[in-house]
Amino acid sequence: MGRGLGLGLVLGLGAVWGFVIAVVFGVAITLVFGVAATLTGWQAALAGIAASFAWLSLRMPARPRFAVAIAVYALVLCLLTYFAPLGFAFGDRSLGAVMVLLALGFLTVGAVAAAFHGRDWRDLNRYRFEEVLGRALKGLGFVFFGTIVLLPFYAMLMTSFKKQADLLQNPLDYSINLNQGLSSLFSSYIELFVNFNFGRFILVSSFVSVMTVLLTLAASIPGAYAISRLRFPGRTAFSRSILMIYMVPAIVLVIPLYAVFSQMGLRDSLGGLLIVYPATTIPVALYMLQGYFRGLPAELEEAGMMDGCSRLGVIWRITLPLSLPAIASVALYVFMIAWNEFLFAFMFLDSPEIFTLSRGVVSLNSSEIPRQHLMAGAVIVTLPVLAIFLFFERFLVTGLTAGSVKG
Amino acid sequence: MGAIHLTDMHKFFGDVHVIKGVDLTIDEGEFVVFVGPSGCGKSTMLRLISGLEETTSGTIQIDGRDVTGLGAAERGLAMVFQSYALYPHMTVRENMGFGLKIAGSDKAVTREAVDRAAETLQLGPLLDRKPKEMSGGQRQRVAIGRAIVREPAAFLFDEPLSNLDAALRVQMRIEIARLHKRLSKTMVYVTHDQVEAMTLADRIVVFNAGIIQQQGAPLDLYRRPSNLFVATFIGSPKMNIIPCQPGEGGVQLPDGTALPVTGVAGVPAHLGIRPEHIQVVAPEAALMRGTVGVAEHLGGDSFIYVDIDGLEPLTVRIAGGAAIAEDAEVGLSFDMADAHFFDAEGNRIAAT
Repeated sequence: MGRGLGLGLVLGLGAVWGFVIAVVFGVAITLVFGVAATLTGWQAALAGIAASFAWLSLRMPARPRFAVAIAVYALVLCLLTYFAPLGFAFGDRSLGAVMVLLALGFLTVGAVAAAFHGRDWRDLNRYRFEEVLGRALKGLGFVFFGTIVLLPFYAMLMTSFKKQADLLQNPLDYSINLNQGLSSLFSSYIELFVNFNFGRFILVSSFVSVMTVLLTLAASIPGAYAISRLRFPGRTAFSRSILMIYMVPAIVLVIPLYAVFSQMGLRDSLGGLLIVYPATTIPVALYMLQGYFRGLPAELEEAGMMDGCSRLGVIWRITLPLSLPAIASVALYVFMIAWNEFLFAFMFLDSPEIFTLSRGVVSLNSSEIPRQHLMAGAVIVTLPVLAIFLFFERFLVTGLTAGSVKG
Repeated sequence: MGAIHLTDMHKFFGDVHVIKGVDLTIDEGEFVVFVGPSGCGKSTMLRLISGLEETTSGTIQIDGRDVTGLGAAERGLAMVFQSYALYPHMTVRENMGFGLKIAGSDKAVTREAVDRAAETLQLGPLLDRKPKEMSGGQRQRVAIGRAIVREPAAFLFDEPLSNLDAALRVQMRIEIARLHKRLSKTMVYVTHDQVEAMTLADRIVVFNAGIIQQQGAPLDLYRRPSNLFVATFIGSPKMNIIPCQPGEGGVQLPDGTALPVTGVAGVPAHLGIRPEHIQVVAPEAALMRGTVGVAEHLGGDSFIYVDIDGLEPLTVRIAGGAAIAEDAEVGLSFDMADAHFFDAEGNRIAAT
């Protein structure tokens, strides 16, 4: 390992960061300011290489060297894009373009320098090489996942605050006018709750999701306990068949179930949904819980039996309290599945008074309903799950059994 | 309270015959220790008594009551596990009071019982802690306390000290002995550590391959092992076994040494002699001569392993830090009264 590898790493990171930052910036500018930017990815990659080469080869103190590298970046990008970085020439928006250019350079050189923080590119051994590479990959991971999560969410949220006229005028402009007053800003939401019955959809969805969670837990806790603790004939076959059920895709089941449920009068009813939802979630819940139960020391339960508990008493007083983190995870997971479920709700439910939220959003999807209403509906579907997840996340800790047995 | 009577106990795990016909009577207040090598069935035996494992055939009686078909909860016994098995979501006080709470005892009664047990075991300052905030020794003490609080007919210990370090093990061993003296309750104790067995037991039961090899007071087992297995299992370092055959005026060893033995009933096939009963003497006065292969000096004792032509190396234990160098020529001698004789089946041949 030597200078060659270090040089390669610096230039490579310059290229990758140059590309990524320019693309993300271009998309973000387009979405946030509504100005159509051209994605100049490969030019930015070349500029990044040039800037990082300047950064590593110049012999000056750190700060001036950094500034020169940014200048090199800006110069190269301007030359390669015929003085129109991100697609807009200096003529119309000079100040903005210069600022964007400098910001791009700062972020690109800064990302390369941050990866090399405290490490000299001329003096890389295997460990330091991996350390620098690891930092860079971590940063790229954050940018990648952050972008693919936040940008659509941003687009959804902003669209839901827009007016029909604005959307028709410039569909790419996501900026909103905050001076219009709250009722005007939230007009789509008000419309959904007043005219489209979304309050009821929320109630129905909550009812269906909570019932699904309860039914799933009621069935899967004893089931998982039996599979993981009790010895009975056919135990392994039983536990394997759970996975088999899980592997049958819902789309295969939906047509036969549609036929059967229609005949039985269960189709357009919440009862029908409450048969199908637990049936799809119980296998997953069983699988998650049995793994956790298996990890609990059997001696704890034996101690409970020696202390005079029956098998059910042991489950209630010892196994369940210790399994709370696992049960919370399963409950959360099942809740999210039931809340977001669309296929069966869409196929089975016809009466608007028992629409779940996801079914309700689809009912908006016609040419008469403006897009901002659809987006507002999507926000209404997303926010409760987000809030519940953030709240319950703290309960999903493991390691409650620490200290019970040798360790 | 606490007499346990086992009759013709058998246990199968699937097709594996683990316990092969055990009859055993444990008297009230007795301290019985089960020893044996790994997989000999001693822990299974304890679990059968506790009710955590179902008996395949045979009967278990506690104080004259047949409990074979009853579950662990209904037998009125308490068990201390090797891994402590404290309930991690409860404090020490809740752990210790759990049995009484299940039994529906009055809260004040439970509290008092826990306080009394905590005082016995010096657990007072720990009562409000959770198991994870305690050391291994403290956890095991809580586990013992949990057993005491319920005032069981008998205590079952499943290798309770195996997870502790050496110093703590000695300390806890003494505490258990003291506890037995104070409570005078029946205790059944499983271990693979012979020091624990020898020091704690009123009676040792030696298991091997699912059957009882011998039972008796610790020193009886040491002095009169009834077969080769017990002879080599009890005592450390283990007894030297030398093949032999009847010869002129006594027995003859494979290297030709003739030993004068009188009054042996039967045909001796093995001679057993404990390392501590062999003396190192001048070669001319010796029964056997050999060279020291390895010498281990422990300070108080020395173990030397002597290579003798035609025999397996003999282990000799010498008290004091005698300076015997490796490769030295030594003569060995022992009193014939200390020798044990076994027939070809490995059973003890009693001296007449």
